Amino acid sequence: MYSYSIKTLDELKEFLYRAMQLEHATIPPYLTALYSIKPGVNQDATQVLRVIVVEEMLHLTIAANILNAIGGTPDLVRPDFVASYPAALPDGETDFKVSIQAFGREALATFLKIERPAQRPEHLVGKGLIYRKTPADITALASHPRHEDLHFYSIGEFYSTIAEGIKYLEAEAHGADTTIFTGDSSRQITSEYYYSGGGELFPVTDLKSALEAIELIIEQGEGDGGGIYDDDDHELAHYYRFEELVKGRYYQKGDQPGHPTGPQLQVDWEGAYPIKENLKVGDIFEGSELHEAAIAFNKRYGDFLQLLTRAYNGQPSLLLEAVPMMFEFRNMILELIRNPLPKHPGKNGSPTYEIPGSIKQPVTRQAEVNA
Amino acid sequence: MTSRFEPFLGLSAELTAFSHFDLLGTGLAERYLATLDKVVGGEITDALLAAFTALPPPEGEARIQAVRTTILGNELLGDVARALIKLWYSGTWFELSSAWTERFGPRPANITFVVSPDAYIEGLLWKAIGAHPAGAKGPGFGSWASPPKIPAFSGSRFQNLT
Repeated sequence: MYSYSIKTLDELKEFLYRAMQLEHATIPPYLTALYSIKPGVNQDATQVLRVIVVEEMLHLTIAANILNAIGGTPDLVRPDFVASYPAALPDGETDFKVSIQAFGREALATFLKIERPAQRPEHLVGKGLIYRKTPADITALASHPRHEDLHFYSIGEFYSTIAEGIKYLEAEAHGADTTIFTGDSSRQITSEYYYSGGGELFPVTDLKSALEAIELIIEQGEGDGGGIYDDDDHELAHYYRFEELVKGRYYQKGDQPGHPTGPQLQVDWEGAYPIKENLKVGDIFEGSELHEAAIAFNKRYGDFLQLLTRAYNGQPSLLLEAVPMMFEFRNMILELIRNPLPKHPGKNGSPTYEIPGSIKQPVTRQAEVNA
Repeated sequence: MTSRFEPFLGLSAELTAFSHFDLLGTGLAERYLATLDKVVGGEITDALLAAFTALPPPEGEARIQAVRTTILGNELLGDVARALIKLWYSGTWFELSSAWTERFGPRPANITFVVSPDAYIEGLLWKAIGAHPAGAKGPGFGSWASPPKIPAFSGSRFQNLT
Protein backbone atom coordinates (compact mmCIF):
# COMPACT_ATOMS: atom_id res chain seq x y z
CA MET A 1 0.00 0.00 0.00
CA TYR A 2 1.27 3.43 -0.86
CA SER A 3 1.86 6.02 1.84
CA TYR A 4 -1.36 7.88 1.08
CA SER A 5 -3.59 4.94 1.85
CA ILE A 6 -6.11 4.98 4.67
CA LYS A 7 -4.79 3.31 7.81
CA THR A 8 -7.15 4.29 10.63
CA LEU A 9 -10.89 4.32 11.12
CA ASP A 10 -10.84 8.04 11.93
CA GLU A 11 -9.10 8.70 8.67
CA LEU A 12 -11.68 6.66 6.79
CA LYS A 13 -14.44 8.68 8.46
CA GLU A 14 -12.78 11.91 7.36
CA PHE A 15 -12.49 10.57 3.81
CA LEU A 16 -16.19 9.72 3.79
CA TYR A 17 -17.04 13.17 5.13
CA ARG A 18 -15.07 14.57 2.19
CA ALA A 19 -16.92 12.24 -0.16
CA MET A 20 -20.20 13.71 1.06
CA GLN A 21 -18.75 17.19 0.66
CA LEU A 22 -17.70 16.31 -2.88
CA GLU A 23 -21.07 14.83 -3.86
CA HIS A 24 -22.86 17.84 -2.46
CA ALA A 25 -20.49 20.22 -4.24
CA THR A 26 -21.82 19.14 -7.64
CA ILE A 27 -25.41 19.92 -6.68
CA PRO A 28 -25.32 23.78 -6.64
CA PRO A 29 -23.68 24.02 -10.10
CA TYR A 30 -26.04 21.47 -11.68
CA LEU A 31 -29.12 22.88 -9.97
CA THR A 32 -28.31 26.46 -10.95
CA ALA A 33 -27.64 25.52 -14.57
CA LEU A 34 -30.90 23.55 -14.63
CA TYR A 35 -33.00 26.47 -13.37
CA SER A 36 -31.20 29.01 -15.54
CA ILE A 37 -32.82 27.46 -18.62
CA LYS A 38 -35.57 29.68 -19.99
CA PRO A 39 -39.11 28.30 -20.15
CA GLY A 40 -40.07 26.51 -23.34
CA VAL A 41 -36.56 25.71 -24.58
CA ASN A 42 -33.91 23.05 -23.98
CA GLN A 43 -36.23 20.29 -22.87
CA ASP A 44 -33.57 17.64 -23.50
CA ALA A 45 -30.98 19.52 -21.47
CA THR A 46 -33.49 20.11 -18.69
CA GLN A 47 -34.22 16.41 -18.52
CA VAL A 48 -30.51 15.44 -18.51
CA LEU A 49 -29.64 17.94 -15.77
CA ARG A 50 -32.63 16.98 -13.67
CA VAL A 51 -31.77 13.28 -13.76
CA ILE A 52 -28.14 13.95 -12.91
CA VAL A 53 -28.79 16.30 -10.03
CA VAL A 54 -31.16 13.75 -8.50
CA GLU A 55 -28.48 11.07 -8.83
CA GLU A 56 -25.94 13.34 -7.12
CA MET A 57 -28.36 13.62 -4.20
CA LEU A 58 -28.47 9.84 -4.17
CA HIS A 59 -24.66 9.71 -4.04
CA LEU A 60 -24.66 12.12 -1.11
CA THR A 61 -27.04 9.83 0.72
CA ILE A 62 -25.03 6.71 -0.17
CA ALA A 63 -21.87 8.32 1.21
CA ALA A 64 -23.82 9.10 4.41
CA ASN A 65 -24.90 5.45 4.59
CA ILE A 66 -21.30 4.25 4.35
CA LEU A 67 -20.19 6.74 7.00
CA ASN A 68 -23.03 5.64 9.28
CA ALA A 69 -22.18 1.99 8.71
CA ILE A 70 -18.75 2.44 10.27
CA GLY A 71 -20.08 4.41 13.24
CA GLY A 72 -19.39 7.88 11.84
CA THR A 73 -21.51 11.01 12.19
CA PRO A 74 -22.59 12.70 8.94
CA ASP A 75 -22.36 16.46 9.41
CA LEU A 76 -23.60 18.75 6.64
CA VAL A 77 -23.43 21.81 8.84
CA ARG A 78 -19.71 21.63 9.56
CA PRO A 79 -18.28 25.04 8.58
CA ASP A 80 -16.37 23.78 5.54
CA PHE A 81 -19.09 21.46 4.22
CA VAL A 82 -20.44 23.72 1.49
CA ALA A 83 -17.79 24.62 -1.06
CA SER A 84 -17.04 28.22 -1.85
CA TYR A 85 -17.31 28.64 -5.62
CA PRO A 86 -15.31 28.50 -7.76
CA ALA A 87 -13.99 25.34 -6.13
CA ALA A 88 -11.21 23.10 -7.38
CA LEU A 89 -11.67 19.46 -8.40
CA PRO A 90 -9.02 17.04 -9.58
CA ASP A 91 -8.92 16.13 -13.25
CA GLY A 92 -5.75 14.36 -14.24
CA GLU A 93 -2.56 16.23 -13.50
CA THR A 94 -4.20 19.62 -12.98
CA ASP A 95 -7.16 20.86 -11.00
CA PHE A 96 -10.03 22.61 -12.67
CA LYS A 97 -12.53 25.05 -11.26
CA VAL A 98 -16.20 24.37 -10.78
CA SER A 99 -18.39 27.45 -10.92
CA ILE A 100 -21.97 28.45 -10.35
CA GLN A 101 -23.00 29.55 -13.83
CA ALA A 102 -25.79 29.53 -16.37
CA PHE A 103 -26.44 26.61 -18.69
CA GLY A 104 -24.25 26.97 -21.75
CA ARG A 105 -21.20 25.57 -23.52
CA GLU A 106 -18.84 26.68 -20.77
CA ALA A 107 -20.94 25.10 -18.04
CA LEU A 108 -21.14 21.85 -20.00
CA ALA A 109 -17.37 21.80 -20.52
CA THR A 110 -17.01 21.95 -16.72
CA PHE A 111 -19.66 19.29 -16.15
CA LEU A 112 -17.87 16.95 -18.53
CA LYS A 113 -14.69 17.47 -16.53
CA ILE A 114 -16.50 16.70 -13.27
CA GLU A 115 -17.72 13.35 -14.60
CA ARG A 116 -14.76 12.42 -16.83
CA PRO A 117 -13.53 8.84 -16.39
CA ALA A 118 -9.88 9.39 -15.52
CA GLN A 119 -7.42 6.52 -15.41
CA ARG A 120 -3.78 7.34 -14.87
CA PRO A 121 -1.59 7.12 -17.94
CA GLU A 122 1.06 4.42 -17.65
CA HIS A 123 3.94 6.72 -16.76
CA LEU A 124 2.06 7.99 -13.69
CA VAL A 125 0.90 4.66 -12.31
CA GLY A 126 2.12 4.18 -8.73
CA LYS A 127 3.54 7.70 -8.58
CA GLY A 128 1.47 8.81 -5.59
CA LEU A 129 -0.57 11.98 -5.35
CA ILE A 130 -0.05 15.07 -7.48
CA TYR A 131 1.10 18.48 -6.29
CA ARG A 132 -1.68 20.98 -6.23
CA LYS A 133 -1.24 24.00 -8.47
CA THR A 134 -4.42 25.72 -7.31
CA PRO A 135 -3.94 28.61 -4.85
CA ALA A 136 -4.54 27.81 -1.19
CA ASP A 137 -7.55 30.12 -0.88
CA ILE A 138 -9.61 28.05 -3.34
CA THR A 139 -11.70 25.26 -1.82
CA ALA A 140 -10.11 21.99 -2.95
CA LEU A 141 -12.56 19.11 -3.12
CA ALA A 142 -11.67 15.41 -2.91
CA SER A 143 -8.35 16.21 -1.27
CA HIS A 144 -6.42 13.96 1.10
CA PRO A 145 -7.01 14.93 4.75
CA ARG A 146 -3.33 14.52 5.65
CA HIS A 147 -1.98 16.09 2.46
CA GLU A 148 -3.90 19.23 1.60
CA ASP A 149 -1.16 20.29 -0.80
CA LEU A 150 -1.63 17.20 -2.94
CA HIS A 151 -4.54 15.92 -4.97
CA PHE A 152 -5.75 12.66 -6.40
CA TYR A 153 -5.48 12.07 -10.11
CA SER A 154 -9.26 11.81 -10.36
CA ILE A 155 -12.45 11.45 -8.37
CA GLY A 156 -12.35 7.75 -9.27
CA GLU A 157 -8.94 7.48 -7.61
CA PHE A 158 -10.27 9.27 -4.54
CA TYR A 159 -13.04 6.67 -4.25
CA SER A 160 -10.68 3.77 -4.95
CA THR A 161 -8.59 4.94 -2.01
CA ILE A 162 -11.71 4.82 0.15
CA ALA A 163 -12.58 1.32 -1.12
CA GLU A 164 -9.04 0.09 -0.44
CA GLY A 165 -9.17 1.69 3.02
CA ILE A 166 -12.41 -0.10 3.84
CA LYS A 167 -10.98 -3.46 2.70
CA TYR A 168 -7.74 -2.92 4.63
CA LEU A 169 -9.40 -1.85 7.88
CA GLU A 170 -12.05 -4.57 7.71
CA ALA A 171 -9.36 -7.24 7.14
CA GLU A 172 -7.43 -5.85 10.09
CA ALA A 173 -10.56 -5.91 12.25
CA HIS A 174 -11.32 -9.45 11.15
CA GLY A 175 -7.87 -10.47 12.37
CA ALA A 176 -8.90 -9.23 15.81
CA ASP A 177 -12.27 -11.01 15.48
CA THR A 178 -14.26 -7.83 15.10
CA THR A 179 -15.57 -5.56 12.30
CA ILE A 180 -15.50 -1.90 11.36
CA PHE A 181 -19.23 -2.08 10.52
CA THR A 182 -20.44 -1.26 14.00
CA GLY A 183 -22.85 1.53 13.07
CA ASP A 184 -26.49 1.50 14.17
CA SER A 185 -28.40 0.05 11.22
CA SER A 186 -31.49 2.16 12.00
CA ARG A 187 -29.50 5.17 10.72
CA GLN A 188 -29.34 3.70 7.23
CA ILE A 189 -31.39 5.55 4.61
CA THR A 190 -33.31 3.07 2.46
CA SER A 191 -35.72 3.45 -0.46
CA GLU A 192 -38.59 3.63 2.01
CA TYR A 193 -37.57 7.22 2.77
CA TYR A 194 -36.11 8.00 -0.58
CA TYR A 195 -38.28 6.96 -3.50
CA SER A 196 -37.69 7.87 -7.16
CA GLY A 197 -34.40 9.28 -6.08
CA GLY A 198 -32.18 8.30 -9.00
CA GLY A 199 -31.50 4.69 -8.10
CA GLU A 200 -31.83 2.07 -5.44
CA LEU A 201 -30.79 2.84 -1.90
CA PHE A 202 -29.71 -0.23 0.03
CA PRO A 203 -28.47 -0.41 3.60
CA VAL A 204 -24.70 -0.60 4.07
CA THR A 205 -23.94 -3.14 6.77
CA ASP A 206 -20.82 -4.98 5.71
CA LEU A 207 -17.84 -5.02 3.39
CA LYS A 208 -19.82 -6.28 0.42
CA SER A 209 -22.58 -3.64 0.60
CA ALA A 210 -20.03 -0.87 1.26
CA LEU A 211 -18.04 -1.74 -1.86
CA GLU A 212 -21.25 -2.02 -3.89
CA ALA A 213 -22.26 1.43 -2.70
CA ILE A 214 -18.96 2.95 -3.85
CA GLU A 215 -19.25 1.09 -7.14
CA LEU A 216 -22.70 2.60 -7.73
CA ILE A 217 -21.43 6.13 -7.20
CA ILE A 218 -18.53 5.65 -9.60
CA GLU A 219 -20.59 3.88 -12.27
CA GLN A 220 -23.37 6.46 -12.38
CA GLY A 221 -20.83 9.23 -12.74
CA GLU A 222 -18.04 8.02 -14.94
CA GLY A 223 -19.42 4.83 -16.38
CA ASP A 224 -18.12 1.36 -15.85
CA GLY A 225 -14.43 1.24 -16.69
CA GLY A 226 -14.82 3.63 -19.60
CA GLY A 227 -17.99 1.96 -20.94
CA ILE A 228 -20.88 4.28 -21.65
CA TYR A 229 -23.51 2.23 -19.81
CA ASP A 230 -23.44 0.86 -16.28
CA ASP A 231 -22.92 -2.85 -15.72
CA ASP A 232 -26.60 -3.69 -16.20
CA ASP A 233 -26.37 -1.97 -19.56
CA HIS A 234 -29.47 0.16 -19.04
CA GLU A 235 -28.24 3.43 -17.63
CA LEU A 236 -26.01 5.92 -19.38
CA ALA A 237 -23.24 7.41 -17.21
CA HIS A 238 -23.37 11.16 -16.44
CA TYR A 239 -20.34 11.90 -18.57
CA TYR A 240 -22.02 10.50 -21.68
CA ARG A 241 -25.35 12.18 -20.93
CA PHE A 242 -23.58 15.54 -20.93
CA GLU A 243 -21.70 14.54 -24.04
CA GLU A 244 -25.00 13.88 -25.82
CA LEU A 245 -25.89 17.54 -25.32
CA VAL A 246 -22.54 18.73 -26.65
CA LYS A 247 -22.74 16.45 -29.67
CA GLY A 248 -26.46 17.03 -30.26
CA ARG A 249 -27.20 13.34 -30.55
CA TYR A 250 -28.36 10.56 -28.25
CA TYR A 251 -26.36 7.42 -27.58
CA GLN A 252 -27.89 4.04 -28.29
CA LYS A 253 -26.90 0.50 -27.41
CA GLY A 254 -23.74 -0.63 -29.15
CA ASP A 255 -22.28 2.87 -29.57
CA GLN A 256 -18.62 3.55 -28.91
CA PRO A 257 -17.66 6.31 -26.41
CA GLY A 258 -17.50 9.66 -28.19
CA HIS A 259 -19.66 8.48 -31.11
CA PRO A 260 -23.38 8.62 -30.35
CA THR A 261 -25.51 7.44 -33.27
CA GLY A 262 -29.04 7.75 -31.82
CA PRO A 263 -31.69 10.39 -32.61
CA GLN A 264 -30.66 14.03 -32.84
CA LEU A 265 -31.50 16.45 -30.03
CA GLN A 266 -31.79 20.21 -30.02
CA VAL A 267 -29.83 22.47 -27.70
CA ASP A 268 -30.44 26.21 -27.64
CA TRP A 269 -27.14 27.50 -26.28
CA GLU A 270 -28.61 30.96 -25.81
CA GLY A 271 -31.69 29.65 -24.04
CA ALA A 272 -30.60 30.52 -20.50
CA TYR A 273 -30.74 33.62 -18.32
CA PRO A 274 -27.37 35.46 -18.21
CA ILE A 275 -26.55 34.95 -14.55
CA LYS A 276 -23.38 36.40 -13.07
CA GLU A 277 -20.88 33.63 -12.48
CA ASN A 278 -20.08 32.76 -8.85
CA LEU A 279 -22.14 35.62 -7.51
CA LYS A 280 -21.69 36.47 -3.82
CA VAL A 281 -24.17 38.26 -1.58
CA GLY A 282 -21.52 40.97 -1.19
CA ASP A 283 -21.77 41.72 -4.93
CA ILE A 284 -25.48 42.45 -4.74
CA PHE A 285 -26.54 46.04 -4.13
CA GLU A 286 -27.54 46.23 -0.48
CA GLY A 287 -31.10 47.32 0.03
CA SER A 288 -32.28 45.70 -3.18
CA GLU A 289 -34.98 43.05 -3.11
CA LEU A 290 -32.53 40.70 -4.84
CA HIS A 291 -30.10 41.12 -1.94
CA GLU A 292 -32.80 40.13 0.55
CA ALA A 293 -33.93 37.23 -1.60
CA ALA A 294 -30.38 35.89 -1.97
CA ILE A 295 -29.93 35.97 1.82
CA ALA A 296 -33.33 34.33 2.33
CA PHE A 297 -32.39 31.53 -0.04
CA ASN A 298 -29.06 30.91 1.71
CA LYS A 299 -30.81 30.75 5.06
CA ARG A 300 -33.35 28.27 3.73
CA TYR A 301 -30.58 26.19 2.19
CA GLY A 302 -28.86 26.17 5.58
CA ASP A 303 -32.12 24.90 7.14
CA PHE A 304 -32.16 22.18 4.50
CA LEU A 305 -28.62 21.02 5.35
CA GLN A 306 -29.57 20.95 9.04
CA LEU A 307 -32.61 18.86 8.23
CA LEU A 308 -30.50 16.43 6.17
CA THR A 309 -27.99 16.18 9.01
CA ARG A 310 -30.77 15.18 11.41
CA ALA A 311 -32.19 12.75 8.84
CA TYR A 312 -28.79 11.10 8.40
CA ASN A 313 -28.32 10.90 12.18
CA GLY A 314 -31.14 8.57 13.09
CA GLN A 315 -34.29 10.32 11.84
CA PRO A 316 -34.58 9.10 8.24
CA SER A 317 -38.29 10.00 8.04
CA LEU A 318 -37.26 13.68 8.02
CA LEU A 319 -36.19 13.16 4.41
CA LEU A 320 -39.87 13.30 3.48
CA GLU A 321 -39.95 16.88 4.77
CA ALA A 322 -36.92 17.72 2.66
CA VAL A 323 -38.88 17.10 -0.54
CA PRO A 324 -41.24 20.12 -0.40
CA MET A 325 -38.24 22.18 0.67
CA MET A 326 -36.46 21.33 -2.56
CA PHE A 327 -39.51 22.42 -4.57
CA GLU A 328 -39.44 25.64 -2.60
CA PHE A 329 -35.80 26.09 -3.67
CA ARG A 330 -36.81 25.75 -7.28
CA ASN A 331 -39.22 28.68 -6.96
CA MET A 332 -36.71 30.77 -5.01
CA ILE A 333 -33.90 30.07 -7.48
CA LEU A 334 -36.08 30.85 -10.50
CA GLU A 335 -36.93 34.26 -9.04
CA LEU A 336 -33.28 35.05 -8.29
CA ILE A 337 -32.21 34.05 -11.79
CA ARG A 338 -34.93 36.03 -13.58
CA ASN A 339 -34.14 39.27 -11.81
CA PRO A 340 -31.52 41.63 -13.22
CA LEU A 341 -28.50 42.21 -11.00
CA PRO A 342 -28.48 45.87 -9.93
CA LYS A 343 -25.44 47.78 -11.23
CA HIS A 344 -24.35 44.89 -13.47
CA PRO A 345 -25.99 45.63 -16.82
CA GLY A 346 -26.86 42.51 -18.80
CA LYS A 347 -26.33 40.19 -15.82
CA ASN A 348 -28.95 38.48 -13.71
CA GLY A 349 -29.01 37.31 -10.12
CA SER A 350 -28.28 33.80 -8.90
CA PRO A 351 -28.31 31.79 -5.71
CA THR A 352 -24.93 32.23 -3.98
CA TYR A 353 -24.94 29.16 -1.70
CA GLU A 354 -23.16 31.04 1.09
CA ILE A 355 -24.57 29.27 4.08
CA PRO A 356 -24.90 31.30 7.29
CA GLY A 357 -22.63 30.04 10.05
CA SER A 358 -20.37 28.21 7.64
CA ILE A 359 -17.85 30.90 6.76
CA LYS A 360 -14.87 29.04 5.47
CA GLN A 361 -11.71 29.19 7.53
CA PRO A 362 -8.56 29.58 5.46
CA VAL A 363 -6.93 26.21 5.05
CA THR A 364 -3.35 25.91 6.16
CA ARG A 365 -1.63 23.72 3.67
CA GLN A 366 0.96 21.18 4.65
CA ALA A 367 3.42 22.86 2.30
CA GLU A 368 3.04 26.16 4.10
CA VAL A 369 3.59 24.55 7.48
CA ASN A 370 6.76 22.91 6.23
CA ALA A 371 8.10 26.05 4.58
CA MET B 1 -34.53 47.41 -21.53
CA THR B 2 -36.34 50.39 -22.99
CA SER B 3 -37.30 53.62 -21.26
CA ARG B 4 -40.85 52.25 -21.18
CA PHE B 5 -39.94 49.16 -19.20
CA GLU B 6 -39.27 50.84 -15.83
CA PRO B 7 -42.58 52.77 -15.79
CA PHE B 8 -44.37 49.60 -16.90
CA LEU B 9 -42.84 47.68 -14.01
CA GLY B 10 -43.66 50.48 -11.57
CA LEU B 11 -47.24 50.62 -12.79
CA SER B 12 -47.58 46.85 -12.60
CA ALA B 13 -46.19 46.76 -9.05
CA GLU B 14 -48.65 49.42 -7.98
CA LEU B 15 -51.62 47.72 -9.66
CA THR B 16 -50.86 44.18 -8.48
CA ALA B 17 -49.42 44.92 -4.99
CA PHE B 18 -46.50 42.61 -5.82
CA SER B 19 -42.91 43.85 -5.69
CA HIS B 20 -40.61 44.49 -8.64
CA PHE B 21 -38.66 41.40 -7.58
CA ASP B 22 -41.79 39.22 -7.67
CA LEU B 23 -42.85 40.60 -11.05
CA LEU B 24 -39.42 40.16 -12.62
CA GLY B 25 -39.27 36.74 -10.99
CA THR B 26 -42.08 35.56 -13.25
CA GLY B 27 -39.85 36.16 -16.27
CA LEU B 28 -42.86 37.66 -18.06
CA ALA B 29 -42.66 41.42 -17.55
CA GLU B 30 -41.28 42.18 -21.01
CA ARG B 31 -43.80 39.87 -22.66
CA TYR B 32 -46.67 41.55 -20.83
CA LEU B 33 -45.55 44.98 -21.99
CA ALA B 34 -45.42 43.55 -25.50
CA THR B 35 -48.92 42.11 -24.95
CA LEU B 36 -50.27 45.55 -24.10
CA ASP B 37 -48.63 46.99 -27.21
CA LYS B 38 -50.06 44.20 -29.32
CA VAL B 39 -53.62 44.37 -28.01
CA VAL B 40 -54.34 48.05 -27.38
CA GLY B 41 -51.46 49.52 -29.38
CA GLY B 42 -48.39 51.58 -28.50
CA GLU B 43 -50.30 54.83 -28.24
CA ILE B 44 -52.70 53.77 -25.49
CA THR B 45 -49.90 51.90 -23.70
CA ASP B 46 -47.83 55.07 -23.75
CA ALA B 47 -50.78 57.06 -22.43
CA LEU B 48 -51.11 54.58 -19.55
CA LEU B 49 -47.40 54.79 -18.75
CA ALA B 50 -47.51 58.59 -18.96
CA ALA B 51 -50.44 58.67 -16.54
CA PHE B 52 -48.41 56.53 -14.14
CA THR B 53 -45.29 58.70 -14.48
CA ALA B 54 -47.34 61.83 -13.78
CA LEU B 55 -48.68 60.50 -10.46
CA PRO B 56 -47.85 62.42 -7.28
CA PRO B 57 -45.01 60.95 -5.15
CA PRO B 58 -45.58 57.49 -3.65
CA GLU B 59 -46.86 56.76 -0.15
CA GLY B 60 -49.23 59.75 -0.05
CA GLU B 61 -53.02 59.98 0.04
CA ALA B 62 -52.84 62.18 -3.06
CA ARG B 63 -51.26 59.37 -5.02
CA ILE B 64 -53.98 56.90 -4.10
CA GLN B 65 -56.56 59.43 -5.20
CA ALA B 66 -54.70 60.03 -8.43
CA VAL B 67 -54.39 56.31 -9.21
CA ARG B 68 -58.18 56.17 -8.89
CA THR B 69 -59.01 59.20 -10.93
CA THR B 70 -56.34 59.35 -13.63
CA ILE B 71 -55.85 55.61 -14.20
CA LEU B 72 -58.57 53.30 -12.85
CA GLY B 73 -61.34 55.90 -13.22
CA ASN B 74 -60.23 57.07 -16.65
CA GLU B 75 -62.57 55.90 -19.41
CA LEU B 76 -59.81 55.03 -21.84
CA LEU B 77 -57.20 53.69 -19.37
CA GLY B 78 -59.34 52.15 -16.62
CA ASP B 79 -60.38 48.99 -18.46
CA VAL B 80 -56.88 48.55 -19.85
CA ALA B 81 -55.36 48.82 -16.34
CA ARG B 82 -57.86 46.28 -15.01
CA ALA B 83 -57.08 43.92 -17.87
CA LEU B 84 -53.39 44.33 -17.03
CA ILE B 85 -54.04 43.34 -13.40
CA LYS B 86 -55.91 40.25 -14.56
CA LEU B 87 -53.09 39.48 -16.99
CA TRP B 88 -50.50 39.51 -14.19
CA TYR B 89 -52.66 37.41 -11.90
CA SER B 90 -53.83 34.79 -14.37
CA GLY B 91 -51.51 34.95 -17.38
CA THR B 92 -54.62 35.53 -19.49
CA TRP B 93 -55.56 38.67 -21.40
CA PHE B 94 -59.30 39.15 -20.90
CA GLU B 95 -61.06 40.84 -23.80
CA LEU B 96 -61.92 44.47 -23.08
CA SER B 97 -65.61 45.27 -22.68
CA SER B 98 -67.84 46.01 -25.66
CA ALA B 99 -68.51 49.46 -24.15
CA TRP B 100 -64.78 50.17 -24.41
CA THR B 101 -64.49 48.95 -28.01
CA GLU B 102 -67.63 50.87 -29.04
CA ARG B 103 -66.15 54.03 -27.65
CA PHE B 104 -62.50 53.67 -28.63
CA GLY B 105 -62.73 51.36 -31.61
CA PRO B 106 -62.20 47.60 -31.93
CA ARG B 107 -58.73 46.14 -31.77
CA PRO B 108 -58.15 42.96 -33.79
CA ALA B 109 -55.96 41.35 -31.10
CA ASN B 110 -58.39 42.16 -28.32
CA ILE B 111 -59.66 38.66 -27.65
CA THR B 112 -59.34 36.53 -24.54
CA PHE B 113 -56.12 34.48 -24.76
CA VAL B 114 -53.43 32.88 -22.58
CA VAL B 115 -50.13 34.63 -23.29
CA SER B 116 -48.00 31.48 -23.03
CA PRO B 117 -47.83 28.21 -21.10
CA ASP B 118 -45.45 29.75 -18.57
CA ALA B 119 -47.76 32.76 -18.18
CA TYR B 120 -50.34 30.37 -16.76
CA ILE B 121 -47.72 28.81 -14.49
CA GLU B 122 -46.35 32.13 -13.24
CA GLY B 123 -49.75 33.76 -12.61
CA LEU B 124 -49.56 35.85 -9.44
CA LEU B 125 -52.83 34.42 -8.23
CA TRP B 126 -51.10 31.18 -7.24
CA LYS B 127 -48.61 33.04 -5.11
CA ALA B 128 -51.33 35.27 -3.67
CA ILE B 129 -53.26 32.29 -2.34
CA GLY B 130 -50.24 30.19 -1.39
CA ALA B 131 -51.13 27.47 -3.89
CA HIS B 132 -49.59 26.11 -7.04
CA PRO B 133 -50.96 26.05 -10.59
CA ALA B 134 -52.79 22.79 -11.26
CA GLY B 135 -50.52 20.53 -13.25
CA ALA B 136 -47.38 22.60 -12.75
CA LYS B 137 -44.86 23.72 -10.11
CA GLY B 138 -45.82 20.80 -7.91
CA PRO B 139 -44.96 21.42 -4.26
CA GLY B 140 -43.94 17.83 -3.54
CA PHE B 141 -45.41 14.80 -1.84
CA GLY B 142 -46.97 15.49 1.52
CA SER B 143 -46.63 19.27 1.23
CA TRP B 144 -50.37 19.61 1.79
CA ALA B 145 -49.69 18.74 5.40
CA SER B 146 -48.21 22.21 5.86
CA PRO B 147 -50.18 25.46 5.77
CA PRO B 148 -49.95 27.52 2.54
CA LYS B 149 -47.32 30.25 2.36
CA ILE B 150 -49.08 33.49 1.56
CA PRO B 151 -46.80 36.47 0.89
CA ALA B 152 -47.04 39.68 2.85
CA PHE B 153 -48.27 42.21 0.33
CA SER B 154 -46.15 45.26 -0.13
CA GLY B 155 -49.12 47.19 -1.45
CA SER B 156 -51.49 46.86 1.47
CA ARG B 157 -51.73 50.64 1.49
CA PHE B 158 -53.93 50.32 -1.56
CA GLN B 159 -56.52 48.15 0.13
CA ASN B 160 -59.08 50.95 -0.13
CA LEU B 161 -58.66 51.26 -3.87
CA THR B 162 -61.37 48.88 -4.94
